[in-house]
Amino acid sequence: MTDMLHDLLDKRLIFITGKGGVGKSTATAGLGLALARKGKRVLIVETDTYSAMADLFSLTLSDSNIEKVKQFDGLEVVNLYAEDALVHAIKQFVPSDRVARSVIGNRVARVFFKAAPSVNEFSILNMVRYYLDKTRGTRPYYDHVIVDLPASGHAVTFLNVPKTLNGMVRVGRFAQICQELADQIEDTRQTAILAVCLPEEMPVNETIELSEAIEENLERKLSMIMLNMVHERPFGQTHDEVFGALRKVTPAQKPEELANAGALSRVIQGNALALDWYERDLIYIDLLGQKTASPIIEIPMFYEKEGLRVIERVADFLCGEPGGGDTELAS
Amino acid sequence: MVLAGLAACASQNGDDVSDASTTIHDPIAPLLESARLIVCCGPGGVGKTTTAAALGLRGVLMGRKVIVLTIDPAKRLANSLGLSELSNTPQQIDLRENLEQVPDSLGDGEFWAMMLDQKKTLDDLVRKYAPDPGALERAENNNIYRLLSSTLHGMQEYMALDKLHDLYTGGYFDLVVLDTPPTKNALEFLETPSRAKTFFDERIIKWFLPNRRAGFFGRVLDPGSIVLKLLGRIFGETFVTELTEFFETLEFLQQALQSRGEMIDYIMRDQQTHFFVITSADPRRMKEALFFHEKLAELGQRAEAFIINRVIPPFNPDDLQKVDADAIAGLAKNAQGLDSIDRAQFDALRKDLASTYKMLARLAVRDQDAIEDLSKKLGAGALRRVPLLGQDVHSIEQLVSLSEFLTPSKPVYA
Repeated sequence: MTDMLHDLLDKRLIFITGKGGVGKSTATAGLGLALARKGKRVLIVETDTYSAMADLFSLTLSDSNIEKVKQFDGLEVVNLYAEDALVHAIKQFVPSDRVARSVIGNRVARVFFKAAPSVNEFSILNMVRYYLDKTRGTRPYYDHVIVDLPASGHAVTFLNVPKTLNGMVRVGRFAQICQELADQIEDTRQTAILAVCLPEEMPVNETIELSEAIEENLERKLSMIMLNMVHERPFGQTHDEVFGALRKVTPAQKPEELANAGALSRVIQGNALALDWYERDLIYIDLLGQKTASPIIEIPMFYEKEGLRVIERVADFLCGEPGGGDTELAS
Repeated sequence: MVLAGLAACASQNGDDVSDASTTIHDPIAPLLESARLIVCCGPGGVGKTTTAAALGLRGVLMGRKVIVLTIDPAKRLANSLGLSELSNTPQQIDLRENLEQVPDSLGDGEFWAMMLDQKKTLDDLVRKYAPDPGALERAENNNIYRLLSSTLHGMQEYMALDKLHDLYTGGYFDLVVLDTPPTKNALEFLETPSRAKTFFDERIIKWFLPNRRAGFFGRVLDPGSIVLKLLGRIFGETFVTELTEFFETLEFLQQALQSRGEMIDYIMRDQQTHFFVITSADPRRMKEALFFHEKLAELGQRAEAFIINRVIPPFNPDDLQKVDADAIAGLAKNAQGLDSIDRAQFDALRKDLASTYKMLARLAVRDQDAIEDLSKKLGAGALRRVPLLGQDVHSIEQLVSLSEFLTPSKPVYA
């Protein structure tokens, strides 16, 4: 097991954020699967109307229903709509189901709730807590709830909502729940906040900003950074000199020339590209390490065609198991 | 770089030198020459902002005065342009200072960029449209405004449109390139303020502002008080008061923006406004790109070009059969300082190169399949591919190189 996975075993609540396009959903699914393989029951919560998990696991995920992932035991997924989370929250506050239903059934009220800022965030976090509190016998029903947060620019605002609301409303049940949610988010023993990042300029800069914003607003640290799609060195260092010389004399030098170039040109330039990626990655890994204090987990690039296979390989990696390795190279 | 002697060597190694296609299909150049507004949309993480900047630059190199407007919260355009910060006012990028060689086609072209600072823009809007001078101060004292002024759902699109309106109607710029945020609701602004926005839904605002409520239903049903009471019970009086104030603040904004709705609608439907979808060849991003395409169609618009960014070069798994250690040793004869390398090292190198190449080729094939699928759906004429480059774009020189791929029919340096 990697240290990363080990450190997460006692974190019941795991928030994951990251800039769009960094493979946040794949990393989330891979982490969920890795924990499930350790015998844990895991719920992945998405809050987007456009669900990536539905795609990856071939699920329907409608109406905020929890669905079991067919391919893997112990893994469940829900795409939580703010509106459904709100219905749940209102039921907690009004005396009877009848009143709750009449509020929810009021068209104007629905429009209001849909639009009112910070109500959505509160309701979603409140629902996440409900998932955490669910039990089977004396044990929690879910060992881990992993929340796939909105893109990093909005994640801190999202997580900051309970604290802000608590600052505004000081007494009553609502205030108390806000306080509890805020405490839970700031509790580094129970709750992890993870950023998914790519070793590229813009995602790295955004992760650095995120790390600073979390420390400033949430009085805690980003727990760890999952650096996704890190390229491995295409060939051993002993070949550097020979390869460098070959690269210089390869007939086709530019990407657009490769279609009409020969096989050898393509093989050389493909490896040259892979070497450039590897070297570029090193620069950004270094920058990220300098500017953030959180542990960085480098997840290698997996060249798989199928999304599900990538998830399995991320889980293999996090579990520290070789797994099946590369699908085609292994076969 | 390519020496004459290499041609012979290349054919020995199985290089089939064929002529590049003589007619370059270029859906973008003609549009860049005449457009007044180009809206770039598409999924995140595909280099959309950089591509928008490259498109703008290409317009500049046709002699036009172009501004690239980005509303993405991350300071990406600033990064792409190598600027430390973009303010809420247009900034000019001096090409003569940034380029070693200035192409003749630049002429009177000017390159401007602007990144929307959402907090500042909302403040500006409040100041601009407020009925009284204290409005901004009142807004700033509101907790909800403070918390959410930079992340309000739908707000960034409105703010961008306000800026767009100013830039477009200001008369200085020939072309505005608008980079939209990568979210699924990025196209909501096309629905125009009069139709969209639950947020600005008049019913809600009126319902929170009893003195402005009017009409029979308002008086008889008085939904505000019932729901307000209930809300107060759930969330506490303070929260409800803050919310009411918040809606009050935004009510005059609603009126102001609605009055611009028609003008913006007109701009969006203008003959010289074009929509581009920018994506990468990754199958999941392609799916998202199709989503944008369909959404545009629903809104009565059409994406006129699909720019597929970061396409992996056509690496082919069959190539490995043609490349043995002999072929590598053959190429090595043209290189300097490799005379003493023995056969065993070429064998070892070939093995390493082959294993990386095999995986790259697999991705390349996957990308090609995805592009072909898209091409069948949309027609090959609308697609433009930009190859994956080994480096990030962080200088104007690199941006020029990237722009060459966007408009190959008009090379920058003729």
